[in-house]
Amino acid sequence: MAAASMCWSTTSLSLNDVVVIRAMSKGIGDRKFRDGAGLSMRKMIAVSIAVGSFILLADRSQAANRDGGTQLAAMCASCHRLDGGDGGIPTILGMGPEMLTRAMLAYRSRERPSHIMRAIALSLSDEEIATVARYLATLNK
Amino acid sequence: MKSRTRREFGRLTGGLALAALGPQLAASETKARVVVVGGGIGGATAAKYLAASARTIEVTLVEPKPNYTTCFFSNLYLAGLCSLESLTHGYETLAQRYGINVIHDSVTAVDPVAKTLELKSGPKLPYDRVVVAPGIAFNYDALAGYDEAATQAIPNAWNAGPQTQLLRRQLESMEDGGVFLLVAPPDPFRCPPAPYERASLVAYYFKQYKPHSRILILDAKDSFNAQDLFLDAWERHYRGMIEWLPAQFTGGVKAIDVKERSVRTASDTFKAAVVNVIPPQMAGQFAQQIGLVDQSGWCPVDPTTFESKLQPGTHVVGDATNAGDMPKSAFVANSQAKACAFAIAATLTGSERVPPHLFNTCYTFLSPDDAVSNAVSFKPAAGTIKIVDNFVSQVQESAETRHRTAREAHSWYAAFTRDTFG
Repeated sequence: MAAASMCWSTTSLSLNDVVVIRAMSKGIGDRKFRDGAGLSMRKMIAVSIAVGSFILLADRSQAANRDGGTQLAAMCASCHRLDGGDGGIPTILGMGPEMLTRAMLAYRSRERPSHIMRAIALSLSDEEIATVARYLATLNK
Repeated sequence: MKSRTRREFGRLTGGLALAALGPQLAASETKARVVVVGGGIGGATAAKYLAASARTIEVTLVEPKPNYTTCFFSNLYLAGLCSLESLTHGYETLAQRYGINVIHDSVTAVDPVAKTLELKSGPKLPYDRVVVAPGIAFNYDALAGYDEAATQAIPNAWNAGPQTQLLRRQLESMEDGGVFLLVAPPDPFRCPPAPYERASLVAYYFKQYKPHSRILILDAKDSFNAQDLFLDAWERHYRGMIEWLPAQFTGGVKAIDVKERSVRTASDTFKAAVVNVIPPQMAGQFAQQIGLVDQSGWCPVDPTTFESKLQPGTHVVGDATNAGDMPKSAFVANSQAKACAFAIAATLTGSERVPPHLFNTCYTFLSPDDAVSNAVSFKPAAGTIKIVDNFVSQVQESAETRHRTAREAHSWYAAFTRDTFG
């Protein structure tokens, strides 16, 4: 890993980091911010200080939901790249919670064929599907 | 050039944010310490998800080797369809991006009372929790004439690396018309379809370069994983090339003669140009050494936290576990490691914990363009882990479906190794 900017592309972040960056991006209303490319580390830190307490409060109020979403999404990450990379196995980022929920229910009912996704969809409750769909949507808005 | 790491950023932002609540929380000495022993799929996944799920946990990964070569997909290498380098993954990303302290060393002793691990090079590592992922060891006692030294002439090729390379060289230098003899192990063993995938892909290689050669499988079992799918594919792709002899026909393999390159069963002796013995297996040596193994030869674990039933505070993930219905596969190791990491994080940091979802997914190549898959969900029940749903490819699937599954398998490999090694 050579450059600081590399660390800040969404392709190199853990699930939690992506959530934090999202929160920061919301906080300052700058869509480009989440890419991190072109922003210096110093600026990133400055902004993170500015929004630090915001993140903390948001984190605490949504902690249970976020922990659940992180843990459920970790299951998706065994096959689906959650960094936007694609090829062969379809990406699940950018689908939006409604579309993702519909897809999961269609796999569960066998309306959409895939025995791998059927096993996953059957193992999740409706509430868990909603939680993971909401969580995944936050990764790619 | 020193690069900024996630961990450093975590200190900067997390530290500052925490400072608002109380500076003492940010001090590094209050961090909980988790040491992961073993850098295969289970160990690497556990380390990554522990580091990613809680900034207040300091994660150390101890692994003697500088990198890891995946067993899954190594049958493609044996057939000459990919390089071993393309299956080899380093620990740099785990160290740099996730701030994991990667130590290339071996653990020689554990003191579960003082909660310290002793490294071969001398230092002691204190821990609050330890995750052990030692993989498998081979039970050579079960096969007369075969031991560690014998693997230099007759490879087991069941840990990807030099053994796989040796078997590849032997297959390459074998003359057309030779016999490749594969000794398949008794249950349970690492990756149930893999011996038969190996036979399939070696047959694919023979068909192209040594079409008069044959493959003989001497099995310790009377049936095997996805047998109908394999037998169908062998008939379609490799008719007359692969012969499978179950234990009930041969009485089982009794002894190996390394000099003669022959295998003796209860009824016969089989001589071959190339022999691959996949020995009976048990939990990795380290698990045995520190007392995590019961009379089954494997490590009994709690089905939700993967904490050892024999040693509180120590968790075991991956092939070494006796995890009920869960087979020994890379996917299972990854799935268990995540459940284990979230359970440890919940204990050490108070994070919320959802019930674990445990899965196995398995892609198997019958030929490079003909692959099948299997998906199983599991659930902790009555102190063990039970299968909930089990879906598998069907014999009558179209060639197009099989081709799509093969392409999907390669994409899965890329996503899965990235999920594990960062």
